[in-house]
Amino acid sequence: MVSKKVILTGNFGVGKTSLFNRFVFDKFNDKYLTTIGVKVNKKVIEVDDEEISILLWDIAGEVSQDKVPISYFLGASCIIYVFDMSRPLTFANIEHDINHLRDLLPDSLLKVVGNKKDLLTAEEIESVLDTLTIDCNITTSAKTGENVEELFDELARELLFD
Amino acid sequence: MTRQSVNKKDDIDSKVQDEMMLSLLRDIILKEDRSLITELKDNQINQEKLAERINPIIEYHIESLKRKFPTEYQKQVNKIVERKLKASQDELLDIVYPVMGKMVRKFVSHQFISMRENIDQRVRTIFSLKGLMKLIRSKVFGMEESELVLQDINQSQIQEIYIIERDSGLLMGDYSKNKTMDRDAIAGMLTAIKSFVEDAFTKERDELEMIEYGTYRIFIQSFHLYYFAIVLDGAITNSQKDQLTAKVLDFAEKEISENKDVELLQEELSEKIETYFK
Repeated sequence: MVSKKVILTGNFGVGKTSLFNRFVFDKFNDKYLTTIGVKVNKKVIEVDDEEISILLWDIAGEVSQDKVPISYFLGASCIIYVFDMSRPLTFANIEHDINHLRDLLPDSLLKVVGNKKDLLTAEEIESVLDTLTIDCNITTSAKTGENVEELFDELARELLFD
Repeated sequence: MTRQSVNKKDDIDSKVQDEMMLSLLRDIILKEDRSLITELKDNQINQEKLAERINPIIEYHIESLKRKFPTEYQKQVNKIVERKLKASQDELLDIVYPVMGKMVRKFVSHQFISMRENIDQRVRTIFSLKGLMKLIRSKVFGMEESELVLQDINQSQIQEIYIIERDSGLLMGDYSKNKTMDRDAIAGMLTAIKSFVEDAFTKERDELEMIEYGTYRIFIQSFHLYYFAIVLDGAITNSQKDQLTAKVLDFAEKEISENKDVELLQEELSEKIETYFK
């Protein structure tokens, strides 16, 4: 079975661990507990009769992505950059953060995810996406589970076949 | 008397009358408040007076109780404590036992390390030219073999072996006596810990070599593209560490090609680890 390292990164409190828990355990907890360091877990996904083992590294949030130890990113096949659509501060530096990640891992797949869509109306979501200078690949809600499976299915497909 | 002076007198009379009425009204309205204030003042004075009289007596009794307490009440207190301790003996054991157990295990483990180091040193001396002479002499005159026997006690046991890709933390192969947690996740977390320690505390090219927890040790041997993490139960001496390093180097040289694909290698490598290290 193919194994791939996937990194979840982004600012404090954007919902990385909630996405992680929703994806790995299909659970959501309203309590906010900040991640200390890093947490690693695995989930096997089946795509078109092929299995892929996703080793998901949930890295503690940092305001500036260049404060996270570079070694955590090494060997990652994919980076998921998460921002909170309801807090503009979490995507204020999105361009800088994405460029930093692209410089760090030029060959890795990069996904930009707008989380907490359940807190916004459709118009507000549109407005947030319009203000971004970077393309957002998918909008999710770890709370309701909306688009979480889709995000990882798409990612697994790309890691397996592209 | 003129009409003007009569008017003036009337005015004065009326003012005096008003003043008297007002005073009367004040007395009526403030009657309760005034009596309350008086009562409060009296109380305060009385309390102060009472305190002045009582405080020395109380202080005397407290001092006296303090002095007499050990002799007067010691027996009763001892009985209460004894009864309480007997009643909660199990609870106390529950609290103390794990802590004591851990301490004892750690102490014994530490003592074994020191003892083994000594024994190794002695064995090395024995097998030197001088030592061999002594050994022959002890054979002739009857030899103490306890030192050599003791060397076999507390042999550290390999519990788990992981070969992990250095950057990604992906598992290349593993062997485990007890199937515990997800081994891919363990490999990832070990890599994260290793990376963190090396980033935070060590200088360039320094590597994390050992993680200790209780009587367990994780011996780490790093290579260019991967590393070994060997979980050991029990004490490990420097000479054992050297032997283990030699074994790991030999295995890496014979069995792991750095150009091989991680996914294809995993199953094959896991079998080889088991055969080689078991």
